[in-house]
Amino acid sequence: MKYAAWLIIAFCALLLQGRISVLGVPPDLTVLIAFYAGIRYGEHKGLFAGLLIGFVEDSLSNSMIGPNMLSKGLVGYVAAFFISGGLFRWTPLLGIFSVSILTFFDSVIAVLLKTLFDKRPGTVAAIVFISVMQSLLNALAGAFMRPEHVD
Amino acid sequence: MVRKKALLLIVIIAALVLMTYQGKKGKLESLTSLDTLLHATQNVVSSATGSFMRPFRTMTLREEENIRLRNRIAELLLEQSAQQEAVLENKRLKDLLKLRETHRTSVASARVISRGIGYWEHTLVLDKGLEDGVGKDMTVITPLGLAGKIISVAKSYATMLLISDINFSAAVRTRESRLEGVVSGAGSRNCILKYMPYEDEVKPGDVIVTSGLDAFFSQGIPVGYVSKVDTKGIGGNFQYIEISPFQDAAKIEEVLIIR
Repeated sequence: MKYAAWLIIAFCALLLQGRISVLGVPPDLTVLIAFYAGIRYGEHKGLFAGLLIGFVEDSLSNSMIGPNMLSKGLVGYVAAFFISGGLFRWTPLLGIFSVSILTFFDSVIAVLLKTLFDKRPGTVAAIVFISVMQSLLNALAGAFMRPEHVD
Repeated sequence: MVRKKALLLIVIIAALVLMTYQGKKGKLESLTSLDTLLHATQNVVSSATGSFMRPFRTMTLREEENIRLRNRIAELLLEQSAQQEAVLENKRLKDLLKLRETHRTSVASARVISRGIGYWEHTLVLDKGLEDGVGKDMTVITPLGLAGKIISVAKSYATMLLISDINFSAAVRTRESRLEGVVSGAGSRNCILKYMPYEDEVKPGDVIVTSGLDAFFSQGIPVGYVSKVDTKGIGGNFQYIEISPFQDAAKIEEVLIIR
């Protein structure tokens, strides 16, 4: 049941991503799934959730398979460290900050990998604009994504 | 902890190997069945949104007479807006029809369902596919000019690569002076006109059309106009020329697919 819910959420995220945009920039909703899996279920599940959703995203976007897969996998993995309760005490503000930073991190890794193995996906100005916009659009969601120990 | 780090390392190495492989052998195929399911849902959502939103808006304005009157006004305004929308749509479709009549090689006219999934790729999903005769590498145009090309086709959907994507390129020439070059997407609104030597005189405002020399795009399709020329050397051995496409990628609603 839990896995079915995750699948539906991932499907809806992919569906919404193609339909909504702010100033021409669509939000990166799939990174939120990887982030949530990381802070909720730890490094392993965060990594695998990120890898899986990134793989689907890469595959559906008619581009090279790998950049989103690895960047989202890393986000899932790193998210578990970020709010594990050991290093930081979770607050909504920390949630906003961490989602924002990790969305930006995801964009940077994906762009670096695309540039290394394929082509740079746009001008530097366009890349910076999209990355910053996406981290701002995702930021608020961080206030509502709590690690298990906070509940 | 060591196992976790080892797993992460394995994943990173595997992903790097996968990307290196694709870099040498070409990109892997997409998940066609999931792709079709997603686009079918997008099509349903697209049609349902319009019919769902209208009654939802009117339901909130029904209790008092005043509200009913306002509601009536709102309805009339909505109708007016819908009629205006229909008039505009009618005009666009007429233009498209005219374009279809002038292009004997036209395959199908299509509606845009959604943007592509990847935000770094400039793609659009169209509601026509193999069933309608659409094939890979076909040209996509609008009444304003070149819009892109088809990069993948499913049974009833197709994905088009926009002219602004970095992977897009087409052989072009300037309409007046007949100078040849290649237009490429830059990942932003404007495109780049490549391979124009410094001795060729290109001015802002020059109209660019397809030359047909690449065997993908037929000759004479309007692409855009020169918006910036830099001859100070930032383009290396060639001039750095920016093109503003006639068709703004953000405003595409209906397109014509031609051979």
